Amino acid sequence: MDNNVVISTRVRLARNLKNYPFPYKLNEKGRAEVNEKVKDALKNGNSAIAKDFQYINFDNMTDSMKVSLVEKHLVSPEFISNTKGRALLMLNNPTVGLMLNEEDHIRLQVIEKGFCLDRVYDLADKIDTLLDERLNFAFDEKLGYLTQCPTNLGTGMRASVMLHLPALKQSGAMSMIASNLSKLGITIRGLYGEGSASEGAIYQLSNQVSLGISEKSAIQNLKNITEQLVNQEVMQRERLVKSIDARDKIMRSLGILKTALTISHKEAVGLLSNVRLGICSGLIKDITIDKINEIITEIQPATLMVTVGKPMSPKERDICRADYIREALN
Amino acid sequence: MKCQKCGKDHANTHVKTIINGDYKEYVLCADCAKEMGYGNIFGNMQQEFSNMLGSFFGNTLPAVSQATHCPSCGSTYYDIADSGKVGCADCYSTFYDLLLPSIRRMHGNTTHCGKKSVAGIEYTETQPKKVSKLENLKAELDKAVKAQNFEEAAKLRDEIKELEKNNG
Repeated sequence: MDNNVVISTRVRLARNLKNYPFPYKLNEKGRAEVNEKVKDALKNGNSAIAKDFQYINFDNMTDSMKVSLVEKHLVSPEFISNTKGRALLMLNNPTVGLMLNEEDHIRLQVIEKGFCLDRVYDLADKIDTLLDERLNFAFDEKLGYLTQCPTNLGTGMRASVMLHLPALKQSGAMSMIASNLSKLGITIRGLYGEGSASEGAIYQLSNQVSLGISEKSAIQNLKNITEQLVNQEVMQRERLVKSIDARDKIMRSLGILKTALTISHKEAVGLLSNVRLGICSGLIKDITIDKINEIITEIQPATLMVTVGKPMSPKERDICRADYIREALN
Repeated sequence: MKCQKCGKDHANTHVKTIINGDYKEYVLCADCAKEMGYGNIFGNMQQEFSNMLGSFFGNTLPAVSQATHCPSCGSTYYDIADSGKVGCADCYSTFYDLLLPSIRRMHGNTTHCGKKSVAGIEYTETQPKKVSKLENLKAELDKAVKAQNFEEAAKLRDEIKELEKNNG
């Protein structure tokens, strides 16, 4: 049931090397040294997983390839804004990324499908310990891991879950939920981070405070609140789909997606959200939730262009997107 | 009253902001308030963080300038307050007292609890740091016990326990 609501789970840790200024104060030579040190630490780390990391070179990447990495939540928008002196180390299955010289020297991120905070944190923790054994991290007994921005002091951890909350959104409860959550040290945002509108009723829930609360407590707190939100969402869904109008909207959404010849990203995400709700409520039986999650990832503008392998105008993208969706659903 | 932003819906949110000393007042409908980030105190905080950090520091600036530079990266306290960015790890110890009030405001707390890095202990390739830290601590504990410094010894014992637990 959780996976009907929780799309994915992510944990990121911010770490810095003691003997180098933070990246924005660090010259090119220093950045290159940091990149090499982290790469070496990973390569020589005493763990099987460490050896499979791939070094991603941004020099020959098109802009759409870079943006596509952002759309898939593998790197931050800040990271691709200027990749000079930066590096990305990646591992697939499980998905682990190390952004080097972004805001901090190291941003370690683990992301997985579904609701699995403990597992995702354990892996991030393991890789962190591995790096800690070989690198001299900036750490203070009182302030914890030292970071460029004081909002990340302490554990340097941001744990988050991505949630699909169409019924709560429909009920108009989201703004009340957001303000209540902020009192509990939890932030809720739209799909693409701060300030963005919640397209397709997809929200990201994450811990806000990192100093004075242990990783375990922060994760437990996030887990409890996620579970409560999931329960609320499930209850609201049951209520919602009793109405013929809501069921009609779901089935019409599927109809449009299966037949449209051109479709904008925004419209598609909205309709897919309705269909996803339909599948979870048992109204639509021949499509899986995984399929819808995959479509939501694949139809993003840059990712679409990377798949097709050429730049496209917005109009061309809308046609290509409609083709992709029709094929995926029929 | 109508919302000042969309001009359509009934305004039910009254926002007063002071950003870098500029006072502004708005009346907004619930949707516009949410869109502008006012439904979410923390989200807003991060978005305008560097501005807020600037104004936080503004309140705590000493009357007499302490023209101290960070010995490692050369940042002054004003550089940090101005950009909202800390220059290096040593800035935190150099400007600890000055940074503390804003850190408290952000986290509601100023003392780390959670995972500890093994950083700061010299190590060699053949001898992992954790082992050497543990040995150092044990040696220190022996010393403290011999010197009958029990307060110190109790602290060290806890640290050793913690480390052994993490190692296990």
